[in-house]
Amino acid sequence: MRKYLIGFFVLVNVYWFQGCDNPQLKPPRTDGSGQENSSQDGSRKIDREFARELAREFGREFAREFALQMKGYSDPSNLKFVKDINDTKTMEGLMDGGGKVHPLLSHCSEDVLEFYEKHPDCFSISSIDNLPQNLNWQDGSEEHEFASPKAKKGGTWEVFMRDFPRTLRTIGPDANGAFRSYLLDYNVVGLTHPHPNSDGYYPGLAKSWAVGEDGRTVYFELDPNARYSDGVKVKVSDFFFFFYFMRSKHIQAPWYNDFYGKDKFQKVTLYDEKTLSITFYKAKPDVVERVSIRAKPEHFYEELDGEFLSKYQWNPEPTTGAYVALPENVDKGKSVMLVRQKDWWADKKRFFRYRYNPDNIKVSVIRDYNKAFEVFLKGGIDMFGLAKTEFWYDKLPDNHKLVQNAYLSKVTFFNQTPPPSYALRINSQKPPFDNLNIRIGFHYAMNFDLVLEKIFRGDFVRMNTVADGYGGRSHPTLKAREFSIEKAMECFAKAGFRERGGDGILINSNGQRLSVELLTGYRHFEDVLVVLKEQAKKAGLELKLKILEPTAAWKAANEKNHQVIFSAFNSFVELFPRFWEPYHSDNAYQEFGDSKFKEDGSLKPNLTTKVSTNNFTQTAVREIDHLINKYRNEEDLGKITEMAHQLSQMIHDHAVWVPAWKKPWLRIGHWNWIKFPEDWGPKETRDYEEFQVFWIDLEDKKKILEAMDENRAISDSPSVLVYDKYKTE
Amino acid sequence: MIQLNPLTQKKLRRFRSIKRGYWSFLILLGLYLLSLGAELLINKRALIVSYNGELFFPTYGSQLSGRQFGLNYDYEVDYRSLKKKFQADNSENWVLMPLVPYDPYEMDYAEEDSTGFSPPSFSKGHFCGTDKTERDVLARLLYGFRIAMTFAIGYLVLTYVIAILAGSFMGYLGGKYDLVGLRLVEIWANVPFLYMVIILVSVMPGWWGVGWQISSLLIIMVLFSWTGMTYYVRASVYKEKSRDYVSAARVIGANPFRIVFRHLLPNVISTLVTFAPFTIAAAISSITALDFLGYGLPPPTPSWGELLKQGVSNLRIAPWIVISAVSALVLTLTLVTFVGEAVREAFDPKKFSTYE
Repeated sequence: MRKYLIGFFVLVNVYWFQGCDNPQLKPPRTDGSGQENSSQDGSRKIDREFARELAREFGREFAREFALQMKGYSDPSNLKFVKDINDTKTMEGLMDGGGKVHPLLSHCSEDVLEFYEKHPDCFSISSIDNLPQNLNWQDGSEEHEFASPKAKKGGTWEVFMRDFPRTLRTIGPDANGAFRSYLLDYNVVGLTHPHPNSDGYYPGLAKSWAVGEDGRTVYFELDPNARYSDGVKVKVSDFFFFFYFMRSKHIQAPWYNDFYGKDKFQKVTLYDEKTLSITFYKAKPDVVERVSIRAKPEHFYEELDGEFLSKYQWNPEPTTGAYVALPENVDKGKSVMLVRQKDWWADKKRFFRYRYNPDNIKVSVIRDYNKAFEVFLKGGIDMFGLAKTEFWYDKLPDNHKLVQNAYLSKVTFFNQTPPPSYALRINSQKPPFDNLNIRIGFHYAMNFDLVLEKIFRGDFVRMNTVADGYGGRSHPTLKAREFSIEKAMECFAKAGFRERGGDGILINSNGQRLSVELLTGYRHFEDVLVVLKEQAKKAGLELKLKILEPTAAWKAANEKNHQVIFSAFNSFVELFPRFWEPYHSDNAYQEFGDSKFKEDGSLKPNLTTKVSTNNFTQTAVREIDHLINKYRNEEDLGKITEMAHQLSQMIHDHAVWVPAWKKPWLRIGHWNWIKFPEDWGPKETRDYEEFQVFWIDLEDKKKILEAMDENRAISDSPSVLVYDKYKTE
Repeated sequence: MIQLNPLTQKKLRRFRSIKRGYWSFLILLGLYLLSLGAELLINKRALIVSYNGELFFPTYGSQLSGRQFGLNYDYEVDYRSLKKKFQADNSENWVLMPLVPYDPYEMDYAEEDSTGFSPPSFSKGHFCGTDKTERDVLARLLYGFRIAMTFAIGYLVLTYVIAILAGSFMGYLGGKYDLVGLRLVEIWANVPFLYMVIILVSVMPGWWGVGWQISSLLIIMVLFSWTGMTYYVRASVYKEKSRDYVSAARVIGANPFRIVFRHLLPNVISTLVTFAPFTIAAAISSITALDFLGYGLPPPTPSWGELLKQGVSNLRIAPWIVISAVSALVLTLTLVTFVGEAVREAFDPKKFSTYE
């Protein structure tokens, strides 16, 4: 009889949810009849909330039933939804002895529970007594705050985006747009965060953490105050749910399915309502950072189904971050207003208290970059990235009136982060690049010195290795090959290209010209490639430029159809670089491991090219493979460092990657009512929006606007600022 | 010598009498001929070099290396610095440079502060300034004009050949052929031209030379735009084929090819000729537009669209680019239009109508 009753409850539950989340009712319409729609949406929202409330009520009933079963309480009305579990200390696994769900998971839907049960090695509940005793708990208290106590709250920060977001989901198709950063990367609080000025961490959702003896399990104690924007407390089970969510096929995000897969995140264990541990597959020196995931609000999703995408298209999940996007603040096609929570849980916490200062962030659509710049000059946008040389020198020169009068500041901030890897990637599989001498000659024929001097006006510096910007892990002395016509021609001559044809391009004895195709998806770097092309002629090398749409170029390179591609990968702030993806032979050919090599280490003929990997250079060298394998398994930072240096050198010798440039700074322009801390920002700032340490001075804004009206300067000297505290070279 | 039909001669006389069109035609022709010899006017290679008593004419032909003139490099000799060197040495040797001593691909990074966008300067020989990578704008304009005009003429010839073949086929045979043919043409005409060009250009293999790429771009454009003219050819052929002279030709046993090409075509062609200048204008505009969007000629081929794009995005800091490019474009298109109007007027059948 009871079974039937439970079945009925579940049924009702599901029924209500399908009803209330009918996708047809969900997405705000873009048609003109906004007024009518909004009122309709309003009533639907109430319906939905009511339904959810009811469903939750049923859920509680359900839990109560279970708890009663388990403990045989005499007075069921005293029972709370998530029962304190002092009495369940000795319980192990997801179920208790009687086959009942553990109280920590009592609120879970059947589908979710089933998922956990299917992977008992991945999800387990243990007793707090089983928590290792000798853990060295950290709480980041030794780290310094990086925001300024002078910061004032208030104001609306105006920014722009190029395109209106196609969804307010942060995952799944179309979610990967620029706007997501405002919802997720700049905003949401994770378990811990790497400190941007040191190698340490600062607390987020976890108030303390400890790495276990095995070096790959990290224990977290949740901050009791941690809450979502809808007021619901962050629960330990939300970190179970995180993996249910990330591994679900319904989110339609294979990359995430894989990234958060079982082979990397091997186990999550809950100990009590505030303690959990996550076990990574390997004891990496930066394991804390790797497993510091964000919480997924299970109470919001309950479970996922095939309608995930449409259900949450315009219905953002509650966030642990300061800013909330609400559907009513979305002006379709025009702007999204993010509002700061009045009583944000982390408001008074160290590391958060002087950040996220503006009351609102208004992100408006301006499709054209040049137009956005004009809007910025009019004061419609508060900050603007000025990394492009022409913006910095020509469009907003130091003697520009706005800068002269100190209404606007031009800021150069030297940062220390792994730069995007701008480089020419040579496909060593394609002739003539299967010849090492041609590749080395190609390196010498690329006049990046002239590019840096003339196009970037000496502001960028040459990248030297495949792993620049990783602190000690970057090779300290290795230098990129310089432009040298003699050396280039010497190398080409070794490969048989000795004579010059009538057009000055080298030819070999078969009459073959030394001509290669250079592919790129970066139309805005056409000038760079034109300079390289003209200069390479001097060394007798012809470059045929092929500039495609980014996606078309990417596709060609993914299919390994290129000879040389000029491209960049974004690098993350990580402790040590990755070599497996771009340089391991398993990402070049389908044959596995050493089976693709002959005895002497050379490649066997007729190998099958592996497409859609990041090994754009088709590097397949047995020694590099072996070292990468060792590197990936290594757990000691000293040895990792040593091997990273060796690998950088080996790849340099293999000559498949012509490093281009890196910019050691951030350059932005901002109106002077935007204020920054003394050092401007933390060392690892990649983006002026990233750490949200600035604030808006409303009084100054008034003063500046008045001064502009009267055409009066704010200060005698132009406002051009350089912050070189973190300058390295 | 081709014997022109007296009627055609009359039309040509009439065209010549329309001064505006006629002069435009002469100017345009002159400019085009000038651009065909652009190497002699605007080039980084010298016209004549006299070195150790020997004369060199490097403009056309293989490039001469620095070593041939006693310099210590193998790549092409820099004639401008060679000239300076000879002058400084006070030697017997001399170099005669063209009017503008730059070519459209070359970046003039000679000066310390040259980082792109140098304003027009007579002393340096950059009469229209330079672009973002210090390439001479005038050189790019003239070479770009040559490419655009050649492209347009090729486009004209090819579209007309296809349109005439298809149009006269449908018009002369008529009936089912016409019905089916016309439907096919209608379907083909509805293929979106721009998208097709974008798609096809992006799959074009890069190992093709620039010449091949330009030719294939031409072919792609022709493939998707010959349809417009077909209707006119078809209609004219339809009209003409019911005339007595066609029946007469048929009676004496002329085959259809002879009838179409010897008898019908000369009478149809006058309609087509009036469209020709406008087709040229359309071709120039579309190649410029495609270049502007980045789907046209492969970089770094000199092109007006590319110049326009640079000019527009750097309107404030380098106005000379957009001024030069827009003036050149407006001038050319205006001239072409004047020619077109004159041709239309000269070939207007009403003037020669005998039914007055």
